[in-house]
Amino acid sequence: MSHTLAVDWPACKAHGICAEILPEVVSLDQWGFPIVHEPVTRDLLDLARSTVKACPTLALRLTQRPKRH
Amino acid sequence: MTAVTTVIPIATQGSGPTTAAPRPIVRNDVGLDPVVAQGPALLAGIAQGPGLQAHRHRVGPVPRPSADKLVKLAREVDLRGRGGAGFPAAIKLASAHRRKAVVVVNASEGEPASRKDAALMALAPHVVLDGAAVVAHALGTREVHIVVPSEVPSIRVGVEKALHARAADGERLKWELHDAAPRFVAGEASAVLELLAGRENLPVTTWAPQAISGHRRRPTLLSNAETFAHLGHLARVGSDGYAAFGTAAEPGTTLLTLRGDGWDPVVREVAYGTPLADILTASEMGQPLLLGGYHGTWLKPAQMKALNVSRADIAETGATLGAGVVLPLSQGWCPLVRTTALVDYLAGQSARRCGPCRNGLPAMAGALRDLVHRGGPVAPVGELCGLVAGRGACAHPDGTARLVTSMLTRFPEEVDLHSLGECRGGRDEVFA
Repeated sequence: MSHTLAVDWPACKAHGICAEILPEVVSLDQWGFPIVHEPVTRDLLDLARSTVKACPTLALRLTQRPKRH
Repeated sequence: MTAVTTVIPIATQGSGPTTAAPRPIVRNDVGLDPVVAQGPALLAGIAQGPGLQAHRHRVGPVPRPSADKLVKLAREVDLRGRGGAGFPAAIKLASAHRRKAVVVVNASEGEPASRKDAALMALAPHVVLDGAAVVAHALGTREVHIVVPSEVPSIRVGVEKALHARAADGERLKWELHDAAPRFVAGEASAVLELLAGRENLPVTTWAPQAISGHRRRPTLLSNAETFAHLGHLARVGSDGYAAFGTAAEPGTTLLTLRGDGWDPVVREVAYGTPLADILTASEMGQPLLLGGYHGTWLKPAQMKALNVSRADIAETGATLGAGVVLPLSQGWCPLVRTTALVDYLAGQSARRCGPCRNGLPAMAGALRDLVHRGGPVAPVGELCGLVAGRGACAHPDGTARLVTSMLTRFPEEVDLHSLGECRGGRDEVFA
């Protein structure tokens, strides 16, 4: 089961800390909002968990499937 | 009870007599009342008025199939939700069939070019309410919420009247009415649940489908008003009766709003498989068509020629029927100019909560204006489409990107001309 980083978009206030901690997965657009590029690989899982905890607005979640229903 | 077997033809473009009495309902953007034609199934009884007595006389009492039976029926006719996403109704019903379910009828219709839910609620409210009652009985709940558009107060008044009549008739359901905010994104499912919870009527991030965890975390069957009307009709006539219209692969009918934001708005119920050429005028068939509303897809006349109102046929052209909004481009108009105006509107309709939408949509509108009106570059427009898609609590950025992307891919010659500062307007040969 592959993990992916999901964003709670209304909660995100573009602090950009996710891109600092996890540049392998997240980059920022021109306004500072995250672009999640790819699924979180196994070796990055711990780092991804720290990223979720580090978000100042708690706008990230590590999910096991694509976010939209 | 007699089966109506033919679609009563309506006059289009204001010529010729109409056999069904034109029934104006609510004014559209340009102050015109859509004409609603009598239809084969959902709109079969509109000539008798919206009253409960005439409705009961025509269709009989509310059927009471079990949840399993209703799921089976919905699966047999492959009933899809009519709010735009086209999700299979059977799956939603089966998921919501758990303890303490809630039923939510979404008639908010935030899309300005759509009038079919308004037509249903105003002219055939009991067709929708019967469907909601069928679903409530099947799911074992008495709680039904109805979301009506606050910008059309007459719909709320009509529904209240209908509910009083049903209560007097002995129906024991707890109906509750809610007024949706007058904006494009207010009808989105998560926004509707926010409204029910007493918060601002705007989309939020959802981590589980509403059927699993919706209103007050209860299983919530939230569907478009027309979907309920179809479920009620299906429960009454069965899957064979339902298949009296439509094709073998796609049984039944669907509601369309034609030219909903234009000069000659019409709401029609058509059987699946009806040729597009039977619905539009000859001159409209020679013009580009925006199918699926402001979040929809442009089609060129060559793609429209043999097209039927069918989910499968339409999917082959790369479009979807969405909520049934059909917008032919007026003669003499340029599809790029029209798209630019729509994107300006859509950017203004952002709830401004999600960063990519709040920033990206105005930027997209600006880049598009630059391209279309000032001979600017094409590349930024396409890049912004790619940038906003999939990055929001609701599909507003995705839908806007879909509209713009279809403009770029369907009218490449026009795009090139505009980037040189020219416009051929709507001269016919351009689109052939």
